[in-house]
Amino acid sequence: MVKIEYLTPASPEERKRYYREEWDIKQVPDYITHSIQEREFGFDHVGRGPNDRYKVFRTPDLLKRFLKVRTPFAAYCSVAFYDKPRRRDRWTKAELVFDVDAKDIPIRTCECEGVCEICLNEAREIVCGILDTLKADLGLNNIHVVYSGRGYHIRVLDNDVMGVNSDVRSQIVKYLVGADVPENEYSLDYEKVSYEHFVIPFGYPNVFTKRIKYSILHLNEHTELDGVNKKLLNDVLKNRHLIEDDNWGLFKNKLGPLRYKKVVNSIASLNMSLVDAKVSIDLKRILRLPSSLHSMVSMKCTEVKNIETFDPFKEAVPKFVYERKE
Amino acid sequence: MNIMVSAAFINPLSDEGEIIVRELGDFERVLSDNDDLVQIVTESRSQELSDDSLIPHNYVDLAIKRIEWYAKKKNDRNFDHKQYDFLFNTEIVKFDVIAFYLLCQAVGVKYGPNSRESRVIVESQGKLIEYRLGKLSKNERGEIVTNILNSLIITTHLKWTFFEDLISTKKLKLHDLILDKGEIILDREDFLERFSHNIQGRKPEKMYEALIGDRIKELVMIKMVMQNTENYILKVGEISEREIEPNPILLKLADRISEVLAASVHSYGFGSGYGGSVKASALNPKAFPPCVKKVMEGMKSGGRNDAIIMFLTPFISYARLYPSVFSENVSKQISDVDPTLLIVQNEVLPIIFGAAERCSPPLFEDQPQDKVNLNAKLGFGMHQTPELKNEGETTWYTPMSCEKVKIHLPSLCKPDENCKKIGNPLSYYNRMIWKVKKESKTESTAEQKDDNS
Repeated sequence: MVKIEYLTPASPEERKRYYREEWDIKQVPDYITHSIQEREFGFDHVGRGPNDRYKVFRTPDLLKRFLKVRTPFAAYCSVAFYDKPRRRDRWTKAELVFDVDAKDIPIRTCECEGVCEICLNEAREIVCGILDTLKADLGLNNIHVVYSGRGYHIRVLDNDVMGVNSDVRSQIVKYLVGADVPENEYSLDYEKVSYEHFVIPFGYPNVFTKRIKYSILHLNEHTELDGVNKKLLNDVLKNRHLIEDDNWGLFKNKLGPLRYKKVVNSIASLNMSLVDAKVSIDLKRILRLPSSLHSMVSMKCTEVKNIETFDPFKEAVPKFVYERKE
Repeated sequence: MNIMVSAAFINPLSDEGEIIVRELGDFERVLSDNDDLVQIVTESRSQELSDDSLIPHNYVDLAIKRIEWYAKKKNDRNFDHKQYDFLFNTEIVKFDVIAFYLLCQAVGVKYGPNSRESRVIVESQGKLIEYRLGKLSKNERGEIVTNILNSLIITTHLKWTFFEDLISTKKLKLHDLILDKGEIILDREDFLERFSHNIQGRKPEKMYEALIGDRIKELVMIKMVMQNTENYILKVGEISEREIEPNPILLKLADRISEVLAASVHSYGFGSGYGGSVKASALNPKAFPPCVKKVMEGMKSGGRNDAIIMFLTPFISYARLYPSVFSENVSKQISDVDPTLLIVQNEVLPIIFGAAERCSPPLFEDQPQDKVNLNAKLGFGMHQTPELKNEGETTWYTPMSCEKVKIHLPSLCKPDENCKKIGNPLSYYNRMIWKVKKESKTESTAEQKDDNS
């Protein structure tokens, strides 16, 4: 197993080699270069955070020259578009973004302290689920995924959502991650009917079922869930094979309705941490520039072409890492 | 004979409503006694008529009755619906529409769209629609909801982003809607076509009725009318800023609306669910909500800054100095409530510093610059210590709502039974303080009774 910590920070010399020999402006995605004049850029030159902000480049060539000369520790670009990016003035719109950081996933099967191959893969699986909902439920299509170095950024550029405010973005996050337990009792004219989330194969209840299923299948005996004691956790682990085949009714019966509710409530409250919601609601956020170097872990921030098959250890490791002497 | 209910009875902003407004004629008439109105009121089926004050005599009276109905229904345990039965008589529509416009204009002119008065007008309109629909037959109800929805929503393929305003103001929650490929599914046939092949062991038709049916259509319609009401008040406010002198009738009505709400606060504790406003007093940590208790124990690296600076600092300072900030809805500076800053120095800061010290690692040890941020959140600018001369350089931040806590600090939110129906940790604290006081009063009364017996 590869641990990211084993990939030591890039030296200033390695940064120079990366930007001057390996990096190419063509690796910066079109959705950034085409709007380069409307975006704010930020840089971290010494590894203490992006202090060099409010930078603007009129052309991709100027950005290229800057990166090749300054070889920064980290490079960022705004998700926001401005009429006057130099002053972050006259905001016009912002990409809708989701930040899935492997180290912050609330339920992980690995026990590493930072990030490792296992949790990075779990982050990738979570991204796949979110992408599916963005397309199937919200009807969004102009979506780009970027491997950030320690997780993934999902960047949505559909015009329909670029103008929405933080409150709408916050509701989108909650919908995507399954943060609220759906109702299970509905009123008809003269009766109440009960539909558990898992019998509804569409809409939010279906999203919720998928997220809960993912979480339950990734629990282990050390997972701590609020309101779920050891015995209940063990019963969940013992019976979870039932939901692999979507036998939810049986699974619920095995636990008992009240205990099932406890498990579901507890996981729903953890789901909010599947993405860093602060990033999604921030209309002026800067995100790591795709193609730039994550110097802390010596990995490339890489645009992902196919998330189903993406492997950061094959596609995001810069050449200088392979050439390092033991 | 089935007489169709006017759309304006449910949606005063409809075309029918606008026609009624145009037909009003001289604006001064809104204060004149109107026999037709009185007749409709007195002939309303269950209307209580024992007291003349129960009967609106003109448009302005009716406008006030609308607000009174909402405030009393919400807060008065002895609320008597028979005193307001005329509001549900469909014949009142042409008077009701004018009353609605008067309310919106009065509030828009005097208080603007972000006022408590504006919120009450919008909410009362929503509630009024709910109750009016409830009094109609199933057919009438379905028909009028469909008609109004058709006039509000022109397209057949309804994208969820069409409701951006409603979602933004939380009138609609995204997860209340059934979405498919970006569209909101409201139509039965559309639903069956899209989903019935995936539904197993349940009747798709029944599932449609339960999950969408009239319920969601009504919800969408009501929330759209509420949003349009809010937008109308905003528009009135913008126009009035350009006018030199607002109509005195509207200004007087605005004052009366405020009086009704103030009376409601005085008598029943409007909107808070507990009696009267909460007075500032020494903090009682036992009444803190679970999220605050968690931060008080100390946070691990990562969430420390947000938890101590953004979350705890506003909470502790408001809980100690100005706990009624939300019910009073008046912005203050700390020196308005603690002129010498002695309470800040001796009670507020020690609690926050204590929690910061219990973080791992202690917050101010490795991030001493956060003391400046703490002061900024108290309204004392970017300085090391709170000093009166710097007050006002920044704003005294109000406590984060539960919604914001879930976004910024999701690990803190572990709700207990008392968190239900609470939207802000400070409201939780106030409620608990009120509960403790009420219980101790009950106990001391009981003890007194025992002593006397």
